[in-house]
Amino acid sequence: MRKINPLGIAGAAGIVALFLPSVGSDYAVSFSIQLLIFLVLAYSWNLIGGYTGYTHFGQVSFFGIGAYVGSLLIFHWDVPWYLAAVVAAFAGAVTAIPLGGAMLRLKGPFFAVGMFGLARVLEAFALGFDSITQGGTGIYLKPVSDLRPLYYFAAAVAAIMLLLTWKLDNSRLGLKLLAIREDEDAAESLGIPTTRLKIGAFVASAIAPAAMGSLYAVYLGFIDPPTAFASNIELTTIAMVLLGGMGTVLGPLCGAVVLSVVNEVLWANYPQIYLASVGGILLLAVLFMPRGIVNLGTKSGWLAVGRPLFRRLAARHGQAS
Amino acid sequence: MPVAELLIGGILLGGVYALMACGLNLIFGVMRVINFAHGDILAIAALSTVSIAVGFKLPFWVAVVVVPIGCAAFGALIHVLVLRRIEGAPLIMSLLATYALSTILVNVAILIWGGGYSGLPGVLSGSVRLFGINVSTSRLVSFACALGVSLAVWWLLEFTRFGRAVRSVSRAPELASISGIAIERVRLAVFALGTAMAGLAGVLVAPAFAIDPQLGSRFIIKAFAVIIVGGMGSYPGAILAALLLGVIEVVGSYFAGAVIGSAFLFLLMLAVLLIRPRGLLGAGIRA
Repeated sequence: MRKINPLGIAGAAGIVALFLPSVGSDYAVSFSIQLLIFLVLAYSWNLIGGYTGYTHFGQVSFFGIGAYVGSLLIFHWDVPWYLAAVVAAFAGAVTAIPLGGAMLRLKGPFFAVGMFGLARVLEAFALGFDSITQGGTGIYLKPVSDLRPLYYFAAAVAAIMLLLTWKLDNSRLGLKLLAIREDEDAAESLGIPTTRLKIGAFVASAIAPAAMGSLYAVYLGFIDPPTAFASNIELTTIAMVLLGGMGTVLGPLCGAVVLSVVNEVLWANYPQIYLASVGGILLLAVLFMPRGIVNLGTKSGWLAVGRPLFRRLAARHGQAS
Repeated sequence: MPVAELLIGGILLGGVYALMACGLNLIFGVMRVINFAHGDILAIAALSTVSIAVGFKLPFWVAVVVVPIGCAAFGALIHVLVLRRIEGAPLIMSLLATYALSTILVNVAILIWGGGYSGLPGVLSGSVRLFGINVSTSRLVSFACALGVSLAVWWLLEFTRFGRAVRSVSRAPELASISGIAIERVRLAVFALGTAMAGLAGVLVAPAFAIDPQLGSRFIIKAFAVIIVGGMGSYPGAILAALLLGVIEVVGSYFAGAVIGSAFLFLLMLAVLLIRPRGLLGAGIRA
């Protein structure tokens, strides 16, 4: 049986993504923007949660920071939305550096709880400092007439994240992060600068979500604290990565596509059990498929194993001996 | 500034936090599982109490007895169906599993009770004069029950055979197993006990607070703050920190409004995480 090359899947997804706006309906474009936003969030979460192995329950903090930075820029100074998204990404990085430096001294459950708390603190601040954020009333932005530019922007960011993850998966850096995931003390004793790499992964996982937060605010035309720091965004992102396969190149893509379709069906037909269903999927994935769809694919043999670079190295080694 | 009012209000609030955080802490200490669903069990217990007292018109003490027992059974079920199956898995799996459970419980609560607020008017209403200050009866009773049960469980852990088994499983599971302690049964019992404590906290919260299905996420963060400030796995630390944080929250809310006031707790938690991760009385547990 011929195995499917992982790059082939990514390429096919890219081609579909490129031509979708010209053939698809407005509904398809709108749905795809949400999918792409989640795809970016999932790839970003994968860096810190999947490769580095730090359970991050606070990624939505950066999404929310980006959403507020972007909306305030657009609201007060009429900044074009793409510029606002770039500034938001920058703001995400700037806040993530000190936060990462502080929070990553915590390990395991302490980090998870600390980040979970942080997202709620920021939500409380967004509600409390209503002179800046307009509190619970929220900020209304001018609705955009054409969603297609937003779509291309999100698709470009998603493609960049996928490529970066692919590069990472084939690099020494990726291996170092995996070493931190498996045993941080052992990695440290091998001379891997764990603190620097962790903070790097943390910051890298914060930048794109901040840009997507700003984009999401433009897409909705509205932002308020419960939307910006929504815990179901966090839940959906993590469920996507876990379902697809943590610490893999194609995992977030598979997970995001599958779960977005499921979510859309749920929202359309059973909005009242949306949260429970996503929670149920996450729970079932933890219990029965903790290594995700991608792992299932490689095991049953229809998907080629990742890391082509290392396979090449292994092959060369095999010839020499 | 009404110092005495704020102090007493804070300490009374802290009692419920203590009961809830002690359950969470007990579960973490023995199983190394952070139960994100703990707050939602509290919320569902509180909503069930309202249903029992208002819907079925039964006396309040029926809820005090029935709801914690139901919660214990539910906890045992969760342990058998979910947590036992992922015992050897990486920490991230148990975090994700309880996180998923928490969202399922919130959703189920909204389906059953609707998204709005409810309360228990008429149960334990009125007020008592204490040190020259009027204190509402419901808060006083819930404080007394919560602190009493927290201390009783502490006694159970310190001075009984069961307690000794629990402590040995929490410190060295392998050694406990070799010494003939049925660690699986201890873990099951601890999880059920911890969930029952959350349930009782929910029952006690019902007469004193407005309740809605989202109550859990507000309480769980406070419970996290309590066990981090007190020291993860430290029982007396949790009780002490609960009373401390109750006072800080009440004083903070008095000066800065309720939203920022409860944010103080999280900031304190973050500060403790950074400066002294093992908390006030924590023994420095390796995660």
